[in-house]
Amino acid sequence: MNAFNTLERRTQFVGIGFVTPTFLVIALILVYPVVQSIVLSVGQSSVDGFEPYQFVGLEHYAALMEDDRFWRSLSVTLIFTAISIPLELMIGVGLALLMNESFHGKGLARLAVLFPWALPTALNALIWRWMYNADYGLFNAIGLESGLVSEPVNWLGDETLAMASMVIVSVWKTSSFMALIILAGLQSIPRDLYEAGRMDGMSRWQEFREITLPLLKGSIMVALIIRSMDALRTFELPFSLTDGGPDSATETLSLYAYKVIFEFVEFNAGSAIVVVQFAVIFSLSLLYIFTLRNKD
Amino acid sequence: MKFLKKSSIALATASTLLLSGVSVADDLVLSIGSRGYGAAVGPAIESFEADNPDIKVEWLKISDVPSESRKLYVTSLMARSATPDVFAVDVIWPGEFAQRGWIGPIDDAFSEEELGNFNASFREAATVDGKLYGVPLYVDGTQFFYRSDLLEKYALDVPRTWEEVISASTTILEGENNPDLTGFVSMWAKIEGLFMNWLSFTYANGATFFDENGKVSVNSPEAIAATQTMVDMLYKHKIVPESILNMRPDDARTLFQQGRAVFMMVQDFVYAPLNADDSPVKGKFDFTRNPYFEGHADAPATAMGGFLLAVNANTEHREAAIKLLKHMTSYDMQLSAAVNASKSPGLMNVYEDAAMQDDEVLQKFGKAYAAGVVRPSAGTGSLYPKVSDAMQVAITSALHQSKSVEEALNDAQEKIEKLLAK
Repeated sequence: MNAFNTLERRTQFVGIGFVTPTFLVIALILVYPVVQSIVLSVGQSSVDGFEPYQFVGLEHYAALMEDDRFWRSLSVTLIFTAISIPLELMIGVGLALLMNESFHGKGLARLAVLFPWALPTALNALIWRWMYNADYGLFNAIGLESGLVSEPVNWLGDETLAMASMVIVSVWKTSSFMALIILAGLQSIPRDLYEAGRMDGMSRWQEFREITLPLLKGSIMVALIIRSMDALRTFELPFSLTDGGPDSATETLSLYAYKVIFEFVEFNAGSAIVVVQFAVIFSLSLLYIFTLRNKD
Repeated sequence: MKFLKKSSIALATASTLLLSGVSVADDLVLSIGSRGYGAAVGPAIESFEADNPDIKVEWLKISDVPSESRKLYVTSLMARSATPDVFAVDVIWPGEFAQRGWIGPIDDAFSEEELGNFNASFREAATVDGKLYGVPLYVDGTQFFYRSDLLEKYALDVPRTWEEVISASTTILEGENNPDLTGFVSMWAKIEGLFMNWLSFTYANGATFFDENGKVSVNSPEAIAATQTMVDMLYKHKIVPESILNMRPDDARTLFQQGRAVFMMVQDFVYAPLNADDSPVKGKFDFTRNPYFEGHADAPATAMGGFLLAVNANTEHREAAIKLLKHMTSYDMQLSAAVNASKSPGLMNVYEDAAMQDDEVLQKFGKAYAAGVVRPSAGTGSLYPKVSDAMQVAITSALHQSKSVEEALNDAQEKIEKLLAK
């Protein structure tokens, strides 16, 4: 009895010893910034930096509630996420199914699909900005030459078109990421299930509905969680593609927070935006985790 | 909490130091953009080190685009980094940086005679609460470029007023009947350059940002009329393409260089690429001071840009830093930068130097900059970025016609009054 207790305690100590460094590192790089942001968001610092710091309660949050630009950036972020994620998912599943087939040059095709994902977003956005350019861009050149449009289209200058343009770049870039995760899921589906299905006379569509889709649910969920969190944090894309314009039609929460913090040098007000964004993403991930748990 | 704050400052400082690679005691870090003025910096540092063997200077090459170098400065200076010791600041920064305690006063290093040679607008922009915080390095600003070949073809004079710009554009566009040709381009995207543009337009109509009592007056009748002209150029006269609402300076330059615009108002840095040997418009363009509105021939319609040198308030080598600053902005250096890098000097007496007499381009630039509009940065201090943003929002909503000009400027007036009242 006694010996068992000591052993258990020793194992516990060893366990704690192993966990502590990891815990400290995570606390430093994950918890500290979150706590610091919250602390900053309920205070007011002097013009020259962090000190002296004065607690002001929810003042910055109250100001946000009155700030049209904040509400606009919140809705831009949500609309962008709500449109681009379903599109990416559909195209991602399609690409994954294609890549899962065996055909000549499969390796090359997989590489090509992954290419947009491998390039840095900022660089992608600059390339697309050129192609979208109303006066010397690729799309208008093609459109005008082929007679599809009679006047140059102002892709990034119109509020709706600018949002659409941003969604297109995002879908082009990140569908392949969705495809990659879903492809991994596809490859873990046992082949014999399909064989059994074929023997029972299932059509390709039935195979997809009854075997592939249910068994893919897990990987689709993972892909959805990662991508929607990414989309809610979108920064580089509007930063390099439209700078949030025209007006504020493509200004996401991250971009607005960035401008408040680094252009206006208002760390406190900017932190309030960041905390709201954190709350949105956090509740969404709770929702996902909750749904996943229920399903299992 | 104290620990957290201190440690975050220390972390930021450490990363800044890593970035700039500085540690040794007697070194100075000088931060200036590497394009543009860059050609003059290397030789200037060499001659400084030759004169001062005990001081080593490291050149931190930063971006020439102010909004980009600003990011670097904000993070380092916020963390009270002691480096860079001496750095180039955009003409709109001294008011804000001084108020935040990031740059230090340097009056003691300059005599009244030396100050008298400064470009007057720059001196005004660098003076905060009666103290001097920066020395002009080089001056630039918006200029009005035109296609001399097209004006000649239609026997038109170089337009001096916006009214003439509109009528000349209409004549040429009708005559050429080329769907690829447009009348006027500039940077009307929602950027700082849009605010510069708006100041050029409104001052050209006799408006001022602050009225004679020092009160904001962005919705004066003169400002409203001038802004209405910008809107009308787009939608009524149709001499401006709607894509102008996305254009940054270089987008406008590209279009003009392709021979697709008759007139253009942008900063003078476009002169070099436009005049390059492979440029389609080489020999077919010229430039003049920005147009004014009829009846306001004396209006200062040139929105000024450019850089000053300032000294970090937290530098550990103030004396050496001021020595370097004086060397980098001296008469000889500005002359060499003008001759070798085609940068307009910020010291007015340099224009009189014999070596500069034949440089017609810089002489013309200099004349325009002697009477320019400097943005209201010294008067708004740390609030300048918010003021400029409020103006960009207002002008954009007028140009997009989501608000009437009057409504947009009234909103801006109210917003800025509220900001400055705090």
